[in-house]
Formats: sequence, C-alpha cells, structure tokens
Amino acid sequence: MNDDSECMARLATGDADALRDLYQRHGRALLRFSSAMCRSRQAAEDMVHDTFVALMREPITFDPALGTVFGYLCGVLRHRVSRHFRQQKRWVVLDTESETSPANDGEVHSPADEIARNELTAAFRRAMLELPLQHREVIALCDLEELPYTTVAGILDCPVGTVRSRLHRARALLTIRLASLELIDLQGEPSIAHRGLS
Amino acid sequence: MTDNHNSHPQLALLTKQYARDLAETAPSTDLDARIARLVAGGVNSGVPALKVRPRSLHFFAAAAGFAALAIGIGVFIGMKVEHARKIAADLASERDTAWPPADLTMWPTDSVSFKIPAEYSAQGTLVAVDPESKHTSTRYWIDVVVSNDGTFRIEQIVPADAAHKKGGSDGVAPQIQ
Repeated sequence: MNDDSECMARLATGDADALRDLYQRHGRALLRFSSAMCRSRQAAEDMVHDTFVALMREPITFDPALGTVFGYLCGVLRHRVSRHFRQQKRWVVLDTESETSPANDGEVHSPADEIARNELTAAFRRAMLELPLQHREVIALCDLEELPYTTVAGILDCPVGTVRSRLHRARALLTIRLASLELIDLQGEPSIAHRGLS
Repeated sequence: MTDNHNSHPQLALLTKQYARDLAETAPSTDLDARIARLVAGGVNSGVPALKVRPRSLHFFAAAAGFAALAIGIGVFIGMKVEHARKIAADLASERDTAWPPADLTMWPTDSVSFKIPAEYSAQGTLVAVDPESKHTSTRYWIDVVVSNDGTFRIEQIVPADAAHKKGGSDGVAPQIQ
C-alpha cells in the first residue's frame, strides 16, 4: 500500500490529519490544474478547497483499483470545475474584457498577472480559457501536467482513444486561436522567436 | 507521458512556457488556512454538502404504496366524474329527443280572447271604437287571442250584426281558454 492509499485509508477511519498530508502532497498540482481551468485565482482555490471538503466527507468513494489518488482528486476537482462553469452560465458577465484579460487591468491578485508574467503567456492563457471546457481540461492534463493518457482517461472517465482525439482537436483549436492572435505563424515563420520566446 | 509530435512546434513552445509559469503557482495562505481549519474541524467540518441518506426498503415500499394509492384514488375520481358526465349526457340527449313531445301544439293553452268592436275609418282602416257609441257604419267584432307568452293573434273578424244574431258578446269580453 503506497502513501496515498494509506492516507485514504486513514481518512476513511476519520483521521483528519490524513487530509493535510494529501493536501501537502497534491494540493499544488491540483491548484495548477484548477488555475488552468478557471478564470480567477479565487475560483481556482475555491475549487481545490471544495475538492478536499468532498474528500473529507466521502473518502470511501475512492477505489484504488480504478486509479491513483491523484487521479481521483483530479476527477473530483474536474466535476467541481464543471459545476462551477454551469452555475456561472446563469449569470451575465458585464465586463468580459476584464474577465478574460486580467493581465491588463493591473490587479495584483489577478491570475494572469501572477501566472503569466509576460504578454505571450498571458495571451496563451486567454486563448486557452476561450477553449471549450472538455478541450481545456485535456490540454491542462496532457500538455501542462504531462500526465499519461491512461491516467487522463481515468480522470475524464473516457477511453484513451477519446483522450487522443480530444487532445488533437484541442491543440488544433488552440493553434488556430493563437494564429489569429499572430502568436503562431501557420506558414512556418518563426513569429514567436522574435518575440523573445525560444 | 503524452507526446507532442502532432502539435505545432510553436504551440509546444508556448505550452511549455505556460506550464513553467503555471508550475510556480503556489497555494495562497488563505487556502492553506482554510485547509487547516478543515483538518482541525475533523470529518464533520467544512461546507455543508447535500448528503444523500441511504433509504431503507421500507421507505421505498411505503413510497410505492402511497403512489399506488394516489393513482387508485385518481382513477376512482376520474371514473366517477366520467360516469356523472355520461349520465348528464344521457339525460340531455333524452330531453333533446323528447322535445317537443308529440302532443305539443304550436298554441299555448293559457290565453285570453277578446272581442273588440271596430269600424272602418275614413282612411279605410279598421279602428277600435267604443262599444257603447252609436255606430255610423258597419261594425265588426275582432276576435283577438292574447297568449301568456306575450303573443297575440286575430282569430277572426266578423260583422257585429251577424255575431249579434249568433248571440256573441257585446263589447270587450275576455274569455279564458
């Protein structure tokens, strides 16, 4: 039994300290995934917090035979993020510019300001946030977290082939979007290099 | 590990750059404090979540029984309403088919008949006159029947002399039929 499974077993018996161990072990990675998915840093942290609250309340739903603890936590977080965006659809965003490009408004706590330290990364983040949720999450898990396809398939609860096709589609959409922002030259010109990223 | 061989090289560069920046993301002290409170509060702490309690077999049996009872009552009420509607429809159709009855005449039975004396005027129209007055021209009796439904009809117009010879009434004399 590895450490994660041991923590889950302790948590199932009511040992709350096991939750702290799991948070210290996976909290940062979960926050990366959540930050890649959510527009605001506060929402990303809320999602991570909700994930651990859910873990605290229902630790027995974890089945070691179905995957790793991290994959399980990613799956819980993914559901929280999905629900968050479903709830957000009920509200009208009055100022979409400040929502999608927080790097331009000079806010210290804005996610793009903290994560994307230059214009290119901020633009990449904006383009990624414009992707549909299912494409955004596959980019976040496969390309940013660099998780294996099988793990991602377990998190997304779909076959590996679906992960591959979805990732291919997501990359294509992101490439087109970045090309429209002139961050990628589809003709082969190294447009990024002369902007300082190489 | 995933492969990036099918992605655009510039996209791969941008992705790596973004992943490097994202890797520096650290939980805020606020999140750390919230998790610490969660740990300190134990299993029963945190945001109250909708907890689905396991239902017993008795609960589902009672629910099914209640549902069946409700459906039965609904069907019974529906049958009663439908039956009452059918009876009303039958009564209405019976009334419609029995109306008018075969022995019904077009004339109502409650009516009053009058005999009105009348003479021809200079304009050639027949006008009512005082029965006590002395008649200057040929006098007629107009038999008028006024029914209780508000209609009236002229039964006959006969010369007064002929009616007098037959023993008719002199003046306006109502006769209940």
